[in-house]
Amino acid sequence: MSVKASPGMGAALLAVVALAAVPATNIPPYYLAFLYLIFFWIAMATSWNILSGYAGYWSFGHAAFFGTGVYTSATLATKFGVPFLLTLPVAACVAALLGSAIGFVVFRLQRLRGELFALITISMTFVVATIISNTPIDGGSGVYLISVPLPEAFGSQNGTIYLLGLFMATLTIGTAWWVFRSKMGLGLFAIHDDEDVAEVKGVPTFRYKIAAFALSSGIAGAAGGVYSIYVSYVTVGETFEVTVIMYPVVMSIFGGSRHWLGPAFGAVIVTTALYGFAAGPQASLVRGGVALGLIVVVLLLPDGVMPSLQRWWRILLPGLAPRQVLPELLVPTPRATGAVLAQIAPPLLQCRDVTKTFGGVRALKGITLDVRPGEILGLVGPNGSGKSTLINVITGHFQLNAGSVTFDGTSIEGMPAHRVARLGIARSYQIPRPFNRLTVLGNVALAASFGGGVGEAEAERLASYWLTYTGLAKKAFDYPVQLNLHERKFLELARGLAARPRILLLDEVLSGLNNTEIDEALGLMRDIRDRGTTIIFVEHLMRAVVALSDRVAVLNNGALIAVGTPEETMRNPEVVSVYLGKAHAS
Amino acid sequence: MPTKNCAWLRPIFFACLSLVVALPAAAQQQPPIRIGQTLSLTGPFAQTGLAHQIASEIFVERLNKSGGLLGRQVEYVVLDDQSKPDISRTLYEKLVTADKVDLILGPYGTAAILAAMTVAQRYHKVFVENTLGQPGLATYEWHFSATIGGADSTSTLPGKVLDAFNSTPHPPQNVLIVSSKFPSAQDMAHGMQRAADARNLKVLGFLEYEAGTRDYGTIAARIKDANPDFMFVACLGVEGSQILEALNKIGYKPTRHFYLYPSGLMAADPLADHATSYSGFEDVAPYTSTKEGGEFAAEYNARALKAGLPYPHVDSQAGNEYSGWQILVAGVKATNSLDDGKIAAWLDKNSVETIEGKRDFSGRSHTSASDTQQLKQAQNGKWVAIWPPEARTPGASLIAP
Amino acid sequence: MPSLSLLEQSLITGVLTGGLYGLLALGLSMSWGLLRLVNLGHFAIALLGAYITWWLGTAYGVAPWLAGAIIVVAFFIYGVALHWVFMRFAVTEMASMLITFALAVIVESTLQFIWTADFRRYETPWGSESWIVGSLYVPKLNLMAFLVACLLAGGTWAWLRYTYVGRALRACAEDAPIAIAYGINHRRLSFILSGLCAAYAGVAGVFIALVATLAPSQIWSWVGVVFAVVIIGRLGNPVGALAGGILIGVCEALTMAVINPSWAALVSFSVLIALLLFKPRWV
Repeated sequence: MSVKASPGMGAALLAVVALAAVPATNIPPYYLAFLYLIFFWIAMATSWNILSGYAGYWSFGHAAFFGTGVYTSATLATKFGVPFLLTLPVAACVAALLGSAIGFVVFRLQRLRGELFALITISMTFVVATIISNTPIDGGSGVYLISVPLPEAFGSQNGTIYLLGLFMATLTIGTAWWVFRSKMGLGLFAIHDDEDVAEVKGVPTFRYKIAAFALSSGIAGAAGGVYSIYVSYVTVGETFEVTVIMYPVVMSIFGGSRHWLGPAFGAVIVTTALYGFAAGPQASLVRGGVALGLIVVVLLLPDGVMPSLQRWWRILLPGLAPRQVLPELLVPTPRATGAVLAQIAPPLLQCRDVTKTFGGVRALKGITLDVRPGEILGLVGPNGSGKSTLINVITGHFQLNAGSVTFDGTSIEGMPAHRVARLGIARSYQIPRPFNRLTVLGNVALAASFGGGVGEAEAERLASYWLTYTGLAKKAFDYPVQLNLHERKFLELARGLAARPRILLLDEVLSGLNNTEIDEALGLMRDIRDRGTTIIFVEHLMRAVVALSDRVAVLNNGALIAVGTPEETMRNPEVVSVYLGKAHAS
Repeated sequence: MPTKNCAWLRPIFFACLSLVVALPAAAQQQPPIRIGQTLSLTGPFAQTGLAHQIASEIFVERLNKSGGLLGRQVEYVVLDDQSKPDISRTLYEKLVTADKVDLILGPYGTAAILAAMTVAQRYHKVFVENTLGQPGLATYEWHFSATIGGADSTSTLPGKVLDAFNSTPHPPQNVLIVSSKFPSAQDMAHGMQRAADARNLKVLGFLEYEAGTRDYGTIAARIKDANPDFMFVACLGVEGSQILEALNKIGYKPTRHFYLYPSGLMAADPLADHATSYSGFEDVAPYTSTKEGGEFAAEYNARALKAGLPYPHVDSQAGNEYSGWQILVAGVKATNSLDDGKIAAWLDKNSVETIEGKRDFSGRSHTSASDTQQLKQAQNGKWVAIWPPEARTPGASLIAP
Repeated sequence: MPSLSLLEQSLITGVLTGGLYGLLALGLSMSWGLLRLVNLGHFAIALLGAYITWWLGTAYGVAPWLAGAIIVVAFFIYGVALHWVFMRFAVTEMASMLITFALAVIVESTLQFIWTADFRRYETPWGSESWIVGSLYVPKLNLMAFLVACLLAGGTWAWLRYTYVGRALRACAEDAPIAIAYGINHRRLSFILSGLCAAYAGVAGVFIALVATLAPSQIWSWVGVVFAVVIIGRLGNPVGALAGGILIGVCEALTMAVINPSWAALVSFSVLIALLLFKPRWV
């Protein structure tokens, strides 16, 4: 990603340089120590947020990674005489490795989301603490770092620690900003909103989560390393304390976990309140007051302080508000295939004896079906006949139990859904499942970027095109909750199209639309096909199926009972019995 | 206490002015001498922090009533370190560089003390602490320990305990060591293991438990199973009472038992009858026999009662804090100066009379030359001094089977 | 090798301690599972209940069961009020955690302000009595806590399963819009449940006062283990909460008996991690 210089970055750079020069002034060193604590919590909260805020995987294991860093630095510096500054990257690596290892096991299991992830991470905290406490790493007596030498900056160790803290905070905010702005950030936000959809839209969810976890835990580890020299004596009890677990969460939510700067903001406020004011003899009362303030803020500003700040900022300085103008349209070049071509080319998608069982229930009982390039295939059948399961198998969301699915000569068996998406298979959902916290434009751009594999700017321009195409251009900067059902269906369609699929699976896009809207949609679908995209669509509305399909496939009870032109299949007695009951067939 | 009331406003004041580098000094004729420390007023060590705070306040008030220091009044600045060493360190920076107190005293607790000592070292402040677990490990040359265990109390105290029990008609033949996973307790437990090995006393087991253990039932079951002659419990606070309670529930009463840092409350517990512990200052003779000791104890008890403490009696924690103040103030008075270097130089060479006895700092790292800790035993709901024999509470002696 | 009687005694301790874990986990599990609110303040008000029991008992001689009755009523009202705030501000699962964390801090500060940070013990003449079965001792109070936990867990389970109110609550938890469409008064039901969860914390508090030593900071010592219990027992499943409590309690006790007490946390949390990774059917 190329980064262009902007006034904001200039200001940030200036602020960092100014902060770095603070120790050179004759400011009382207390303020350096206090600022160090703020930097420390900025690093902790912001790093927590990279996984937990962006992707919604709440980790209560930040203390485990922090503690790993603390003890890595302490052990290397005291027992092996490693120069202290060299221990910090090692601390980061060890913590990041631990995070990745946990992620590698946990992220494979789809059920370990939400509170189960929170629980497994808090358990890791206890496990790491107990191991350190009962082995020679600590053994229970604590580790003294009093005689560990540390180079002096601005004439004192204080200066060094301050600069290390500043460096950590800057690095962490920079990382958070970079992730936020990158494709990975977009992917993490999508994971937060709907992980399954994200994967199907082409987001490599497993890889992103591991990367975010590694970054998050690595930074916590490095922050722990610096912390060990700051306190100069580390014990298990104080390292793995409940505040270390809770404060990053509190600070991130308080500041706003959706924004890269939110946790840092929260860290500054909470640290100042707790450590700056609550130090007097009436500490317990002041602490209670701070907590009360927290409640009020959370109740009144559920998304944290940052979004409100941004709002005020925009009111005060209207010139700096992002302009909500649709990017210039990028018209995709149509693929030169037509319905005629379909007759001679080999099948694009081949399902061979596809079987899928859930528990003991066989949802698909050996489906064999070819889909030809450029055709529109209607997929019909009563409820529970296996249509949606088949779509989920073709998109890689479900792994099949037997049989094979081949797309353009490539077997998609065992392939993660995001790679299937990149091959050129896209889908829409019957009940729209947009990413609720991304704008309409963001939703479509994500599909273009991940499914279509184009760059960020290009993705936005393509998204603009498809939004215009589906008539949603005016809503580009709205959020999905602001759309009506009809618009949400078209958003599903736009997301599917933006991935530039070679085959598009549409799951009941027409249900709930009125007649005019249906005609509009049918027109769109024909046009899509004419631009070279093969379509499989699931539909109950027979009028649409007959009008649109080149061929119809009928499923019943997980088995394919008929394939052919609409006229042929509608005359098939088995189909008639399924649809109209046994009486008519006999 | 007007000084106390404005002390908590100060942080707010300073935070508001945090961008102003130079603060205009208030013009006063005879500004008070300000002595600062942090204590764990909140958080897990808040119980002990409170005892230290009361002792400090009593000392400062008595000092001011008797004319103050160098003809000036003394203002006590106490900040809450929330039982966290990082905050302790930060607040010592604040005391020294922002609040610019004249002198500092160490905080409570090993971790906080070590974190604070780095600050003292950086600004060359004389640093008197009174609760460092292993004071012999301190490396700062102006560190002075008000603890009375000497540099190697982890070796000397266990020996002393075994000596005391060996003086009874039936010396123990074996020992079970139970230890909290708290650094200073852990160190002492290992000391006991060494002492037992050296004397060929059979060690039946070495049980370690986490500081936050919620249920001592199984630990009690193991103790009962081992049925030791002597149970050495390196515990903190109420852990000892909790173990006794759990033992009682399974119908076991230890015959000889020692607890390292029990809360004062233990003496009042009928289950703890004949429990022993180390002691430096207690609410009995001989500690209260001196004028200052007696007055301090009476005043402490009154305030503790008023504060609603469950065991309103002075103990070693308060006594240690008080003698820490005595040591620092003795240095100021003798050198007639607030110069940290002069005070340190004087303390290095001289001895100070405290309520815990005459103290010098000739041991390693300016600890006391020898371990002068005594042993106490819970008898009829009160602690009494029972060891060494020459410093017993009148009429008391070590009761053991 | 540990003796048989030691193992048996540890087992008893583990089961009984597990009952207390379950008692604490009950309210948390219900409000998390059925109301989607993560109540970190649960531990705080349980400890508040313990302090009130101790205070009424030592200062005014109020018997623990009477104090318990007062606390249950008062806490029920508190639970309803808390839920009113949550409803009024449409608090999300995440935010509820933050708000209740802050509530816990406020309770901790208040406890310390009123009763100092010093340890408090509720001494009762019958507090440490035990039944003796062979060579084994069963502490009466712990057994009572265990039985009350069983009673509450079983009662809550039956209430959720067999009464209209209970079924309606579960329906709301599964799909609130549809339940509301069927005419279930979601609001009123959730108020009852929230009040009940707080009342359960009060009951747990009474027993904490009787079997434990109180200090304000102890609010936090229960968080990790009780969260584990709640998840093992499945959110919103009262009997599961109790079973999870017993499982963790027994694991801890056996580790303490066989290895070294300080390894207890490792074993119980490893069991938890293993359960999560290799999910047996009942989790």
